[in-house]
Amino acid sequence: MSSSPQGLQFTDVRKSFGAVRALRGVTFGVTEGEAHGLMGENGAGKSTLLKILAGIVQPDAGEVHWRGERLHLGSPRDALERGIGMVYQEMLCFENLTVAGNIFAGREITRGGRLRHQEMRERTRALLAELHLPISPDAPAASLSAAYRQLLQVARALAFDCQILVLDEPTTSLTDAETDHLFAVLERLKARGSTLLYVSHRLPEVLRLCDRITVLRDGSYVNTFDRGAVSASDIVRAMVGRELPPRAAIAAREQTPGRPPALSVDGLGRRPCFNNVSLRVDAGEIVGLFGLVGSGRSELLETIFGLYRREAGTVRIDGQPIDPSSPAAAARAGIALVPEERQRQGLLFNLSVRHNLVLPDRTVKGDLLVRTASERRDAQALVDAWRIKAAGVEVPPDALSGGNQQKVVVAKWLATSPKVLLLDEPTKGVDVGAKFEIHEIIRREAGRGAACLVASSDLPEVLALADRIIVMREGNIQGQIAGADATEESVMHLATHEVSV
Amino acid sequence: MRKLWAIRELSTVAILVFEVLFFAWYLWPDGNRSHPFLNAGNGLLILKYSAIYGIAAVGAAMVIISGGVDLSPGAVMALAGVIGAELFVVQGWALGPAMTLGALSGLVAGFVSAGLVVAVKLPPFIATLGVMGITRGLAFIITEGRYFDVSSQLPGGWRPLGLPADWVAPLIMIALALVFQGLMTTFQWGRSVFAVGGNETAALFSGIAVNRVKTSVYAVAGLLAGVSGVVLTLVQGQAKADLANGYELDIIASSVVGGASLAGGRGSVIGAVLGTLIFGVLRNALPQIPGATFYDRLIVGLVVIVIVVMDQLLLRKRA
Repeated sequence: MSSSPQGLQFTDVRKSFGAVRALRGVTFGVTEGEAHGLMGENGAGKSTLLKILAGIVQPDAGEVHWRGERLHLGSPRDALERGIGMVYQEMLCFENLTVAGNIFAGREITRGGRLRHQEMRERTRALLAELHLPISPDAPAASLSAAYRQLLQVARALAFDCQILVLDEPTTSLTDAETDHLFAVLERLKARGSTLLYVSHRLPEVLRLCDRITVLRDGSYVNTFDRGAVSASDIVRAMVGRELPPRAAIAAREQTPGRPPALSVDGLGRRPCFNNVSLRVDAGEIVGLFGLVGSGRSELLETIFGLYRREAGTVRIDGQPIDPSSPAAAARAGIALVPEERQRQGLLFNLSVRHNLVLPDRTVKGDLLVRTASERRDAQALVDAWRIKAAGVEVPPDALSGGNQQKVVVAKWLATSPKVLLLDEPTKGVDVGAKFEIHEIIRREAGRGAACLVASSDLPEVLALADRIIVMREGNIQGQIAGADATEESVMHLATHEVSV
Repeated sequence: MRKLWAIRELSTVAILVFEVLFFAWYLWPDGNRSHPFLNAGNGLLILKYSAIYGIAAVGAAMVIISGGVDLSPGAVMALAGVIGAELFVVQGWALGPAMTLGALSGLVAGFVSAGLVVAVKLPPFIATLGVMGITRGLAFIITEGRYFDVSSQLPGGWRPLGLPADWVAPLIMIALALVFQGLMTTFQWGRSVFAVGGNETAALFSGIAVNRVKTSVYAVAGLLAGVSGVVLTLVQGQAKADLANGYELDIIASSVVGGASLAGGRGSVIGAVLGTLIFGVLRNALPQIPGATFYDRLIVGLVVIVIVVMDQLLLRKRA
């Protein structure tokens, strides 16, 4: 525990939410000018610590010092004024404003009460040039890609001379190329002397950027590692407090001849998202659907699930053509979709975990009555089977950590025993432990005989999970590779290059 | 979860009890004169007039829980009353069929609102604002400014279903409140309404037929507003186009006071009915206080704010 009076120092920070002790006295220091990684499984207390730093949550006990001076962070405004800039995991962006409007939102430059548009535009232009962002200050934020929106938040933090830049899972929705761009920007900031606090589940990223890495577990401080003196497995061990079993070898599955594939899609099209897509997934098979953001993979899954009307093509389940006109119809046909955004698409925050877990199953069954006792039993069984950490099944989902929320989103569909399981970025923003468990869930579902189609932009995940990898690019299927033959290079090559036929 | 709602409704009951006790004390008569507020006749009167709001509030609460809002119940009540009275008084229909058709006009209005919200994808506020104008307008077109005298056409000593006429409205309100409270808490349909109101996208992704749920909620709300309008016509003994003017806001306020959140996903049917009783007691008791006549709207407004603020403080404490 190095205590550097000139850096950012957390001393015995404690915070409880009701019975949940989110932080049990965390003490560690961040040296000024370093990039400091903060890691831990979901529920380890990282988010709470960041919220304290952002002034959103007040600690029950403990102190935060910056350059030897105690910080009193009563509101997000306080934090900003003390030079702490936040870049959040869930992107905060005013889609109705321009780029310049976003950067200065809430802190507009005015003279005599009137907005100084020209000056804000100029400052924005300078800032964007400094970050090497090829976007116009007048571009509407709604027109920006996820990556640029994320970088916009970095720019917003920089516009106010922040000394500490806190990044919470900034790369979850970025492609590798976009991540490289963000990292180039962060490296430049580091060189300029900014202090970075970087929170991520992606170990390679943390090891690439950060000089030192602090690990939290169950609300307690575990250790701080120097980058040079630590291996990835040391960090994983510190995070989970146990050894993870090695990845199960992918067993080559034999196709039963003569049996129609569980899911077959022929010539499916919905312009402009994707075009003439044909693919098949056999029962018990895990097929990875890899593609960069904008390749049309989410739209493809959502169309199969009946969220959008298809323009052309057929979808067959066990050889029978189906016409999923709505998710309700698709679910009845045996299709389940685990959506990409759990906050927006996955969870009902006004209902308890129990309702969330049983809702798809009971809806598909078309039950008339809500049978509380049997629902509690089923929900508890799911909670136990998937090791969802929750204080009972009647708590609302926001009492759960991100990884456990994601397990709820996955588990709620498994209760329906779907024939076809579509998963869109099933481990987005989830820590290694929960990621491992979600992979186990998918493998077990395949073992039960479900046809699993996993869309992901996380290449190692696709390689680890899939029996076969289908690569999409700009709405077309570029090709497929057997899981055993696939390498990062071969998949990436398909995803980024025009195939000459 | 259910326990939580039970607590929420208990707090509405507590407010109601407090309110009744307050007026009982404040209006306590001198000497041996009978109590002007605390007597059975007045209780029935409060129930009878509250029922007009309460029946429609059952529907309004469900719309609000589903994440929408319905501005049309006042106008739909007028249209239903006017159609029922036109058929009964002018066309000489029997009372039952005339009033049934009147109430069913509410169902039609509800389906129009639902179509505008679900198919045309208008914001509920705008869709139901339009339907409010259309239904009120139709009521004026039908009546051409006349009013229909229903009471003189009713048989003397009219006892529907063998009950005293005054009991009918409260009994309809109580029955509907119980039926829909049951539907909302123990039926899949009700849970779907909560799910849609809580997070429409996630509800859709969970396989809920969101459009069907929303359609059913607006249709039921329209039908109940129609029933309310018919009841109002029978209670007042007359129908005219400006019947129930502005009631929609009292109905929405009752739902909110009863625990519904205009953000959707939270609330209860029973709570909304209790909310109408809170206002019913105020409307009944305030005019009996000498000098309070001009204050009653102001007091009703303050009560809404105070109760909702209290609710939010309690909610924050519980969280």
